[in-house]
Amino acid sequence: MSTPSTDTRRLFDVHRGEGAPKLASDRTPPPASTLKKWLRDMMLIREFEVRCMQAYQDKKIGGFCHVYIGQEAVAVGCVAATKPEDPLVTAYRDHGHALARGMTARACMAEMFGRIDGCAKGKGGSMHMFDKPNNMFGGHGIVGAQTPLGLGLAFATKYEDEVMQNGRNKRVTLCFLGDGALNQGALHEAMNLAGLMDIPVVFVVENNGYSMGTSIHRGTTMAHDLKSKAIGYGIDAAVVEGMDMLECYWGMKQVVDDARERSRPWFIDLRCYRYKGHSMSDPRKYRTRDEEEAWESDDPIGKLERFMLEQGVVTEAEVKDMWKDVKAEVRDCVAFADASPVPEAGELFTDVYMEPWGPYPGSSQPSFMGGAPNTPSFKAIDPKGDVL
Amino acid sequence: MPISVTMPRLSDTMEAGTIVRWNVKEGDEVTSGQVVADIETDKATMEMPVFDDGRIARLLVPAGQSVKVGTQIAVIAEEGEDLSAAASGGGAAAPKAAPVAKAAVIAASPAAAHAASASEEDETVTVGGARVRVSPVARRMAEEAGIPLSSLKGSGPGGRIIKRDVQTAMENASSRPQAPVAQAAAPAAQALAVPVAPAAARVSGGLVMAGLESERVAVSGMRQTIARRLVESKTTIPHYQVSMRFELDRLVAMREQLNGELAETGIKLSVNDFIVRGCALAMARHPYVNSSWAGDAIAMHKQVNVGVAVALDESKGGGLVVAVIRDADRKSLRAISAEAKALGEKARTRGLSPDDMADSTFTVSNLGMFGVEHFTAIINPPNSAILACGAAIKQPVVRNDELTIGYEMTATLSSDHRVIDGAMAARWLKELKGLLENPATLLV
Amino acid sequence: MSALREIEFRDALREAMTEEMRRDQRVFLLGEEVAQYNGAYKVSKGMLDEFGPRRIIDTPISESGFAGLAIGAAMQGLRPIVEFMSWSFSLVAADPILNNAPKMLYMSGGQFGCPIVFRGNDGAGGQLGSTHSWCVEGMYSNVPGLKMAIPATPDDAKALLKTAIRDDDPVFFLESERMLGMKGHVPEGEEILVPFGQARLRRAGADCTIATWGRPVHFALEAAEALAKEGIDCEVIDLRTIRPLDIGSVVRSVKKTSTCVVVDQSWSFGSPGSELAAQVHKHCFDDLDNFVHRVHTADVPAPYAYNLEQEYLPNARKICEAVRAATYNA
Repeated sequence: MSTPSTDTRRLFDVHRGEGAPKLASDRTPPPASTLKKWLRDMMLIREFEVRCMQAYQDKKIGGFCHVYIGQEAVAVGCVAATKPEDPLVTAYRDHGHALARGMTARACMAEMFGRIDGCAKGKGGSMHMFDKPNNMFGGHGIVGAQTPLGLGLAFATKYEDEVMQNGRNKRVTLCFLGDGALNQGALHEAMNLAGLMDIPVVFVVENNGYSMGTSIHRGTTMAHDLKSKAIGYGIDAAVVEGMDMLECYWGMKQVVDDARERSRPWFIDLRCYRYKGHSMSDPRKYRTRDEEEAWESDDPIGKLERFMLEQGVVTEAEVKDMWKDVKAEVRDCVAFADASPVPEAGELFTDVYMEPWGPYPGSSQPSFMGGAPNTPSFKAIDPKGDVL
Repeated sequence: MPISVTMPRLSDTMEAGTIVRWNVKEGDEVTSGQVVADIETDKATMEMPVFDDGRIARLLVPAGQSVKVGTQIAVIAEEGEDLSAAASGGGAAAPKAAPVAKAAVIAASPAAAHAASASEEDETVTVGGARVRVSPVARRMAEEAGIPLSSLKGSGPGGRIIKRDVQTAMENASSRPQAPVAQAAAPAAQALAVPVAPAAARVSGGLVMAGLESERVAVSGMRQTIARRLVESKTTIPHYQVSMRFELDRLVAMREQLNGELAETGIKLSVNDFIVRGCALAMARHPYVNSSWAGDAIAMHKQVNVGVAVALDESKGGGLVVAVIRDADRKSLRAISAEAKALGEKARTRGLSPDDMADSTFTVSNLGMFGVEHFTAIINPPNSAILACGAAIKQPVVRNDELTIGYEMTATLSSDHRVIDGAMAARWLKELKGLLENPATLLV
Repeated sequence: MSALREIEFRDALREAMTEEMRRDQRVFLLGEEVAQYNGAYKVSKGMLDEFGPRRIIDTPISESGFAGLAIGAAMQGLRPIVEFMSWSFSLVAADPILNNAPKMLYMSGGQFGCPIVFRGNDGAGGQLGSTHSWCVEGMYSNVPGLKMAIPATPDDAKALLKTAIRDDDPVFFLESERMLGMKGHVPEGEEILVPFGQARLRRAGADCTIATWGRPVHFALEAAEALAKEGIDCEVIDLRTIRPLDIGSVVRSVKKTSTCVVVDQSWSFGSPGSELAAQVHKHCFDDLDNFVHRVHTADVPAPYAYNLEQEYLPNARKICEAVRAATYNA
């Protein structure tokens, strides 16, 4: 059973490869406006997830629904440590990352409701939050499958910078995964390739101690020291506190800056806790109420609120107003999603191919009754011309 | 505004839930996330939280009762609201259920013009009470040509009427009025204008004999072709036979002599080689035998191409093919022999090519190797005649008014009376006799 | 028209990749032994020297990892070519290549495409045994969202691979170890691409349509030669791409011949061959003289022994038998 640390200002525990420069250790709190933004972002995620649960129970959301309640500091803190052009990819518990990255609550809720105004036109669902302008690359359902993708995104940004020399800034990719994904082969292949090829990807393990109903100690070797897995691949690793917004931010900022500077991968054991079950149908019989209450009593949102109140950055009344505002925003996005129409039947057959063969009717056969073949956008000549 | 609390869907498959126990009573304060009841679902007993702050105005469903998912079970009064008003108001109207997705009627594929109702490829029609099978294209063709299916006999498996059958019937319908002797049992299978190369065509069959057990041996395409062409030949060509005896003593002797001298070359002349040469020369001198009936004319061929009948191995399916030796009148015995041998080999192994079998003007069939004395052969269209040779048998003969022993062979010429009349046939045979009985003439 | 010269299938593939890489910096090649080893089958020979190790990348043996890497890179906007040493090895990467690449555009609502090419040796390779002889089109062709090309001659190999690299959708490009050394005339000096979904007439005929793709095209031509001697005139159509499938060409041919034989080197159950046969039945229902006959690889794991493997393949003899049966000449 895991318990929260009582020392919220402990330094994080780092393993660095030999010869790597010491990480900078800047613990200056950001300006008030930034803190307020972060607090609101966390509140938004919390309220959004609560309404998702309600909507799911009202049958407005179908399929799977994995809520992020309790881990808000992780998403907001990690995203705060990056630049907008840094790619981000995560697994299926992706609503928090989507909102932290800048996607609108409306687009996300409509997507969950399966409506045309959703970010993926209702064709992705809860697990597939994609947003190109915000460099949000999803939202992936298969455990661990996003880790080679994250690696590939980082590879591509480095390739663009160094091989194509298009002069873009050095970019770092954040690749989130759960502690359950530690056991998937894809992750290990990805870590090996990352270490081998100097890919600037940060594998952020959102270590909440459970993969569905299996505690980490029942499923993963070296659960007490996950860093050792990364060390095995020659990757620098650190433990970062995920239930404290500022700790998370400071830790991740140093790591992301280092990864950007040296173009090297990182592995982060981000300690956090999800308050709710794995998904909506999880009765959480595998842990005790006491454990949950211990973690809930140290809510990251409350923690940041208290810090900001102490610092005089914000007043009680302002906090209350922020909550009201956030609740109104979420209520609005639910109404928006409710009002948004379902995708038309024809939408079933769009977005299968970038360049389909004629109108795509849901099978690979072209319309052959005298129809001309689809000419691709590039010049194509058949040399013999002896097509029937 | 009072908030309605409905029976939540706590698992994917849940349809209804039973309230096991309420954890609150009317009037209690509640906060978002607080568990207010235990609900029994189809899978387990789960906790039910509320999502809003306020006070319980009313509990609508008592513990122990089961209600469908979505049914209102409680009302929460928000901060500052009057409890009883909220309770009596009954809360908000029934919760908005998930919208019914518009009927996803996917447009039918554009190629749905074809009626794909039948799952079987062929349809069956009933003809005279029995079900007859017909392939789709055959059916369509028959319909278009106005040929009733009942008039067709199917050559496909199970008596299926196939394209070929309809094509045959169509050609038959447009044939010239030849007055063929149509006494054949099989109706409708009378093709005309048959190419010499065995075409992929089948003879109508399907003879069923009730009460007699038989093993049905599948016939090859070639067999089918042979069958069809022979029927056509016998029924359309007015055959008549003229036989003659040939004294082959000198020929046999010469053959021995020549073979002795040719021994090292590996060439071995056979009696048939001499016969082929003889026939060729005879035809050169009697061109009317080297011709074909062309309906309104007789085609006199400019080449003398003698076909030699080759029997194929039974174990390989048997059958009879005719290998053609072109310009046999201009080829030496040696050349004829080599070619005949090569073609015979080829026929028995790889099989003859269409070229090998095309353009014969005359055919020689020899059953002498079996000891047959005399037989008649069926003309190989579009030839006008065929020579059936028996064995050269040592037998008592009359020479110079004396009884002696000599080699004699009986050969029978079957002729097409439209082209070759009796006297002509006789003259030709006489010519042949002269050549074969004085074999030296074959060498020049 | 530029000069025709004879080059090997593998050279044609290399030319296609090289030309495309010169043309577009976003294209790069990764796979096992593609760089320093010059390609396990010498397809990428010399490419490391021209393009350097940043664009011709040797990977460790992690198909799942590097296939996923390539897909991530494609999502970001690059145009990777992933070489599987054998399509048999792609099975360990089945999740990324089937569950990610073809689905990405759809589940992101049209935002992220995946302009990637997966290529490698497909099918029986000559006594390679049961785990190394996969014809993956039997399974992978089932998935919507991907395109699948399978050339039979060097000129098509080059033209189709160029199209595949320029295509914005994920393309599964199936080659064959047995054909890599095949020589053929390939035009040079011109931008020649073959659009997907366009079949090619390999042999005109009147009696029976043989529809096929990949290595079996050669078996079919061999069979057609033999059948011609028997007087059966076959029309051989090389589909060239399985997805999209040029059903139109096959249908036009079958309307002419009334008979169709499909030859497919994958196992018969639920294969692209069965799909083609079903489509022909649907569109040519009233034009068929016999049901569509199919010739597949024997429904068993690939054997090692030479003679057994020859019998296992959809060889010319089996095709002849099928054509004779279909044309009622058996």
